[in-house]
Amino acid sequence: MSMSKRNSKGLTLTDILVTIVIAIVFGIVYKIWGPMYDVVKPLGLHAEQTVYGMWFIAGTFAFLIIRKPGVAILAEVAASAVSAFLGSEWGISTLVYGLAQGLGAEIFFLLFLYRKSGVVVTSLAALGAAMASLGVDFYYGYISELTAWNYTLLIVLRLIGSVLIAGVFAYYLSKALEATGVTKLLRPVSKRDLDSLG
Amino acid sequence: MTSQTINSVNQLRLKYPGEETLLFKDLSISIRKGEKVLLLGPSGSGKSTLLQVLSGLVPDALELPMKCKEQVVPKRWGYVFQDPDTQFCMPYADEELAFTLENLQVPQAEMPGLIRKYMEMVGLHFEDLHVPISTFSQGMKQRLAIAAALALEPEVLYLDEPTALLDPEGTAQVWETIQSLSGERTLLIVEHKISKVLQDVDRVILFNEAGEIIADKAPEQFFTEERESLIECGLWYPSIWQDYDARHRAEKRDVPETGGPIVVIRDFVGYRGKQPKIHVPEATVHAGEWISVVGSNGAGKSTLLLAIMRLIQTAGDCQVGDYAGEKTIQIAQRTGFVFQNPELQFLTDSVEDELMFGLLQTNKSQVQCKQSASELLTRFRLDGYQDRHPYQLSMGQKRRLSVATAVSGGKPLLLLDEPTFGLDAISTFQTLELLEELRRKGTAIIMVTHDLDIASRFSTRIWTIEEGLLREDKSC
Amino acid sequence: MLTFPHRETWLHRVNPSLKLLIFVALFVGIVLIHNPNILGCFTVFLLVLLASWTGHPWKRLLIYTSPFLLIFVSSSTGMMFFGSGTTTWYRFGLIHITEESFYRGVHLGFRSLSMAATGLLFSLTTRPVALFYSLMQQCRLSPKYAYSFLAGLRMIPIVFDEFITRRHALKIRGGSGKRGLKRLYEVLQLYAIPLLAQSIRRAQRISVAMQAKRFLVESKRTYYYSIGYSWYDAAFILLIGGIYGLSFWIGLTYPVLDVLDVR
Repeated sequence: MSMSKRNSKGLTLTDILVTIVIAIVFGIVYKIWGPMYDVVKPLGLHAEQTVYGMWFIAGTFAFLIIRKPGVAILAEVAASAVSAFLGSEWGISTLVYGLAQGLGAEIFFLLFLYRKSGVVVTSLAALGAAMASLGVDFYYGYISELTAWNYTLLIVLRLIGSVLIAGVFAYYLSKALEATGVTKLLRPVSKRDLDSLG
Repeated sequence: MTSQTINSVNQLRLKYPGEETLLFKDLSISIRKGEKVLLLGPSGSGKSTLLQVLSGLVPDALELPMKCKEQVVPKRWGYVFQDPDTQFCMPYADEELAFTLENLQVPQAEMPGLIRKYMEMVGLHFEDLHVPISTFSQGMKQRLAIAAALALEPEVLYLDEPTALLDPEGTAQVWETIQSLSGERTLLIVEHKISKVLQDVDRVILFNEAGEIIADKAPEQFFTEERESLIECGLWYPSIWQDYDARHRAEKRDVPETGGPIVVIRDFVGYRGKQPKIHVPEATVHAGEWISVVGSNGAGKSTLLLAIMRLIQTAGDCQVGDYAGEKTIQIAQRTGFVFQNPELQFLTDSVEDELMFGLLQTNKSQVQCKQSASELLTRFRLDGYQDRHPYQLSMGQKRRLSVATAVSGGKPLLLLDEPTFGLDAISTFQTLELLEELRRKGTAIIMVTHDLDIASRFSTRIWTIEEGLLREDKSC
Repeated sequence: MLTFPHRETWLHRVNPSLKLLIFVALFVGIVLIHNPNILGCFTVFLLVLLASWTGHPWKRLLIYTSPFLLIFVSSSTGMMFFGSGTTTWYRFGLIHITEESFYRGVHLGFRSLSMAATGLLFSLTTRPVALFYSLMQQCRLSPKYAYSFLAGLRMIPIVFDEFITRRHALKIRGGSGKRGLKRLYEVLQLYAIPLLAQSIRRAQRISVAMQAKRFLVESKRTYYYSIGYSWYDAAFILLIGGIYGLSFWIGLTYPVLDVLDVR
């Protein structure tokens, strides 16, 4: 009996499952986060934009753990699906936002050929996701109809907040997770290890 | 008789990624058709990994650096894992068995009949097989896993510590089931609790810490010739408690003279949501007492501990030391709490920081804290590990660390939720003896356990919880 | 959501992939409406659907829909107070409510409400297993993804329990006294690391267990459930299309609010 050998570019079953559980953990956080967001939002001064990055930390973080194409998109879609499944108040729109944000992050990882995973690339990906979410908001939330100062405030706070949370925090969080040793089995077997078998 | 060899590996070399030393170096092992083999060895000697190599799961499903000269892998095999909660991907039992049948391309029309057949084979009798797995006990889940393995019509059945995370009842059920099913099949078993397994195997292979085979005999020979190895491996062998009693017969248990009341409980109720989950009409715990809380699953034992810490909604009186209020942080100054999963308690990146965290909260100086931390390291046998990340310790070490952090600061009360669950014999005895030391110095201990052997030998009193009520409180 | 007992209604029998497609189309359809009368009417229809055909008891529905008021308020007030407009109704400090911004705010409120209603409608009338079987059979979703999602769903209660236990443990051990941004990161780390560590290990184990059952060894597989199409699907399309069209007619013929386009 031989198991089918997966091609080295595609996502293995383990990759997919790990991405999905990462999305679940963050999805549960979103679920607990969401109601707080709703309470702060009515003030209209966009205080909630500073922590908007929480919505797409799943995507950037998952890529840092599993550095393969498609992981950011999968993580974002899965996280939205999880929060929708748990009864998110935004319904189907969550999925659309999730997909857009995932694509926004994925594009930046792609630009670096999926080979770089430092703080800068992660922050750029976070920026990408934020810009994608702004794009969706443009059509969906009429944000261009806000007064100029309000509109600018929203954009600036969201971009800065996203870079901070889904970029910088995600990077340091991934380093902290690697220190626990849990990610050792997620990397492909290195030539060094194979050679040292003797 | 190579024509009958059903599973073998020759000159296996394997190691974990990033590790320096090899787990196996030129190991060769060969299994004949129909043999029932038991693999024994100390924790961490790689027996589970070996099973995965023999079945082909390594390197196909789990990529590890490995090479070998030749390998014979059975055509059809089934594998039962240790953790009941990570073997399934579907919510309902019939769907889970269907998953295996779908993988085998069994026609849809044949599925319901086969599902019923395999469920009945493992003793899961339901009229309607569409039962949510979440309603199963852990023992039932493992039996379902066996059913799923049987659905593969295996020539070889791999059983990787199937009862490690089960209580005594679940353990008995699972071994009975396996006994009734073994028939002509080849069995490869890794286990620590070997009392129930021994009568059914015909070959025992013993590994040492370096992953080398040091004995390969029939069970009867094994027990006469390798007795020390049994103890060294930390196995739960049949007469283990008798041996323990014999070793410790001379010791006397006594409650220290200064045994004042540490916990006073009156008409105390703990709620889950709006429902009362545990009710204690009256109880007092004195310094130097060791209370084992026993009862069936779901009776409310762990809830009692959470209630004492006021982590859940409570009503009634419960005084810990000199504090009778409801603020968890105040109770925590007088109480150490050890959770079942040690990792859920860790806060820092190193063993030393973990100990220092709790010590620094008492108002001692930095120097004094460092000194205390050092003492704790020695006492809990974590010397040399001060810079290690807590998650990188072995299971036994993690447990010791979590007890060490709970104990630091000389708190009068210690609450523990199943501290020896899933541990091998050596770690279990060490943990219990450590707790006994604390008890002698005056700490009051309340420990939830399902192991009555432990409860009757180590505690001074046993509280029995039945359906949310403290029914019995007897001394031993 | 659906683990709670409920009655099966005809909405449960609609093909899940089709339902998903229709709801996604609705997302676009709702975004294209700029008349609050039409949208308000549509929202009411959706709420009626929610009340009648999900098969869940009233009390539970009330609990699920209780955040709806908050949703309406949170979506509308930002635009109402700070949106652009010319006919001033009220001014106080930075707050500037105009006729235009008010109606736009109301429209946004209805939009969020209708989104929430469709989301709830979907999740209350769709079994996850049926959804993924349908996605595999109708939409050619690779089983690798479908069963991984299903396995993930099993993990949700476990992660939730671990979250609660972690919260208890943190309460017991106390805080480190950091503040502000550093504290925010610290809290994120204190929860995320243990939860992620347990979950990732579990994911690896499930992956090996699934492969031990010969998952993905053969390229084709048979299915325990066959999800197909039925008359219910046609009825569903007609229903949704119907109330969409009806909302336009009612909204344009009997407008309650005095505005046709909020842009």
